[in-house]
Amino acid sequence: MIPRFRSALAIGRRSLLAGAAALSIAALAPAPRALADAGTLTIGIEADLARLDPHISGTWNTFKALSHIYEGFVAEDLLATGVATPPIVPALAESWEVSADKKTYTFRLRRGVSFHDGEPWNAAAAKFNLDRMTNPAFEFHQPGAVGMLQWVWGDLAGYEVVDDYTIRIVLKQPNSEFLRRLAAGGSGTPRMISPAAVRKFGNDGINANPVGTGPFKFGEREVGVRTVLVRNDGYWDPKRTPKLQRIVLRGIPEVTTRELGLLTGELDMISTPSPDSLEYLAAQGMTLVKGPVATIYPIWLNFREKPLQDVRVRRAMAMAIDRESMAKFLRRGTAQPAYGILNYGGPGWDPDYRDFPYDPEGAKKLLAEAGYPDGFETRLDWTMGGGGDVNTRADAEWIQRDLGRIGIRATIELFDNGTYWDMMAKGAREGTCCMQVSWGETGFFWLDLVLPTTALPPNGFNSGWYENPKMNELLAAARAAPTEEQMVATLHQIRDIVTEDVALIPVYTPLQVYAMRPNVKGFVLAPQHWADYTSVYKE
Amino acid sequence: MLWRPMTRLVLGRILGVAPVLLGVCFVVFAALHLAPGDAARTILGYGATEQRVQALRAALGLDRPLIVQFADWLWALLHGDLGRSISLGVPVSEIILDKIGASLLLMAASFALAAGLGLLFAALSGGAHRSARDRIITLAMLVLASLPPFWLGIVLLFVFGLQLRLLPISGMSSADGGVLDVARHLILPAVTTAASSMAVVARVTRSAFVDAMNEPYALAARARGLSETRIVGVEAMRNVLPGFVTIAGLQIGYLFGGALFSEIVFNWPGIGLQLFQAIVQRDFPVVQGCVLAIAAVFVLGNLAADLLAIALDPRRRG
Repeated sequence: MIPRFRSALAIGRRSLLAGAAALSIAALAPAPRALADAGTLTIGIEADLARLDPHISGTWNTFKALSHIYEGFVAEDLLATGVATPPIVPALAESWEVSADKKTYTFRLRRGVSFHDGEPWNAAAAKFNLDRMTNPAFEFHQPGAVGMLQWVWGDLAGYEVVDDYTIRIVLKQPNSEFLRRLAAGGSGTPRMISPAAVRKFGNDGINANPVGTGPFKFGEREVGVRTVLVRNDGYWDPKRTPKLQRIVLRGIPEVTTRELGLLTGELDMISTPSPDSLEYLAAQGMTLVKGPVATIYPIWLNFREKPLQDVRVRRAMAMAIDRESMAKFLRRGTAQPAYGILNYGGPGWDPDYRDFPYDPEGAKKLLAEAGYPDGFETRLDWTMGGGGDVNTRADAEWIQRDLGRIGIRATIELFDNGTYWDMMAKGAREGTCCMQVSWGETGFFWLDLVLPTTALPPNGFNSGWYENPKMNELLAAARAAPTEEQMVATLHQIRDIVTEDVALIPVYTPLQVYAMRPNVKGFVLAPQHWADYTSVYKE
Repeated sequence: MLWRPMTRLVLGRILGVAPVLLGVCFVVFAALHLAPGDAARTILGYGATEQRVQALRAALGLDRPLIVQFADWLWALLHGDLGRSISLGVPVSEIILDKIGASLLLMAASFALAAGLGLLFAALSGGAHRSARDRIITLAMLVLASLPPFWLGIVLLFVFGLQLRLLPISGMSSADGGVLDVARHLILPAVTTAASSMAVVARVTRSAFVDAMNEPYALAARARGLSETRIVGVEAMRNVLPGFVTIAGLQIGYLFGGALFSEIVFNWPGIGLQLFQAIVQRDFPVVQGCVLAIAAVFVLGNLAADLLAIALDPRRRG
């Protein structure tokens, strides 16, 4: 009995092994690659998309999809090259008139445009969307939009349909960058959703069923896996009709995985590779595209800390930080030093402006003059950063070292991004001298949230308790400026006062980096946190 | 006579799970509500006025006592309602149901690897105590037990994904899909997750084999002329199994923890990856749901291992 049993077992084991071997060979056979499909561009981004309702959408990554699905009255031309700020061009409005008092905007809407579901675009559709964003009594009002779009509609007095293709918007006070705000995005954006889709899917249903007028339509989404955008063959603008059939966006938070996916061809393009990998990726034949983005990383200074109440101490701190070396060696060329509070890509940015020299010896003298010859002890509060930020801790350590060289001994405390922003909303805490932050847009509206006394916590992010009433006046004057020249001149005044007061220390402007396979062509890097993929094709 | 204490024991174990799960619920709920951050402000965005935030807090019931909120939350939970995701705008239960399958698949594959190979290596080395084979396997297990899964995953990706181009880098399937395609995607994450647990199972079970091989019944079996393979594989095995099941069951928790890292490294679309993204986006309801789902799997997995160990070991039936 036993021998027979054993031989049966042996045969079983042998066939089992053979079966397993066959299975593993079949499993290991190379599968068809994403490369095979020339019409599909697969992009690995830093995080999965958030809500797809443009009126309440939250993250820059989400906007990489939304900017292709939805459009507004006007747009930023992200295919324009050689400009720091993308020009504003007509989109769903063909033209517009601004009244002499700069308060009334009359938009003439583009005719013959349809939403992806066939619903026509007209003044009624525009009003539906304005109601949804701003009118709490409206059946399909989106409550989240009020806070998210405060920066766009804060000055709104009213709006009316003039005729089928004309709509008039009235503001309470002039706003010199109202059109810029209409075109921008990232944190809520005033783009147009198909009214029929809102009625059909309901207010919350738009997150899973986004319907706009853009060059790509929503294809499908598997949350946490992929979002597919499909070419809109009926797109109104022949110049922006996509060359690709399909864009697949895959959120891959781990940067090494994104890089390996690109190298094997699983992905055609990735955003934000690690600065340490750039040489390797280039050596493997990948195309790297990098350029500055409309952002600045400044440091808030805490005006409530005793030593920092002396401007000489604040100036000394600014002079102690070696921004140029930081961009070159720490950021390995993926950043450029920032001078002055006006950010690259925003209005009034001047490439030749300089604020503080790097001068540690001079800084030490200033500290001694202010009564701190031996420096003092303090703390840096820092964020681990959001999706596009890489190794922010290293920034803190660099600044800690630079401050240490003039005798300011700082410890570092690092927080996750959400917790950090909640802290900042309450203002700098006692014992902390510096806090890092990234701000900036193609408009200057972010300054309204950071500089005036009306933005002192909890009403805004003047988190370092900088109190200079001149800021309120000047920002209001910049908003009300009748011409762009006057707006820029006022912004320059603001910049110079911020430098003089050393209210914040500008550190650097990051360079955004995209890496793509050599067969991906036609990509235009815009100074925005997203790009226009309509020009991209694969060879 | 015999079934009554047995039933009581089994029922006791099952009933014991309820307070544990309730405790987990409370800790998860409290931790997220006591942490800094405000759901109302997250929903409204930073442009919102304080007044609107307070209004929404009241509307969401966030201004009520914590214990009342907990009771409400628990009541909704019992009805399968875990709230709505802040960042995605869809019900949390949908997300969890969507993701738990992928995590369980990864877990099951890792568990099969960890338990199966762990037992095999234990038998191979413990059954031949102090042989060269024993020493080599013991050393290999020591190395494997010390490898952090995050690092191991990246090394495996580099070798099998990039250098050899044998296996895919990320995700659960290519666009075209298919069972075999999922299996190919599963190999590296499962091996990564299983490695250290397999080593732990092998090392602990090996000692049990060593002990069993020194028992009189092993000597008696040898005296009766049974082969070593049979003594190890059948006689010793029977006595090693209850301990093996307990240690393997304990690995379920570790495997789930390891799977979390693997999911991030391999972009495996399971609960771990979802949890990671939800934490980054401050999506409290999703964080809550994911932690709860993981805790439930942990507790139920250990319960299953306990019951199996009772079934396998007559001494534990009391």
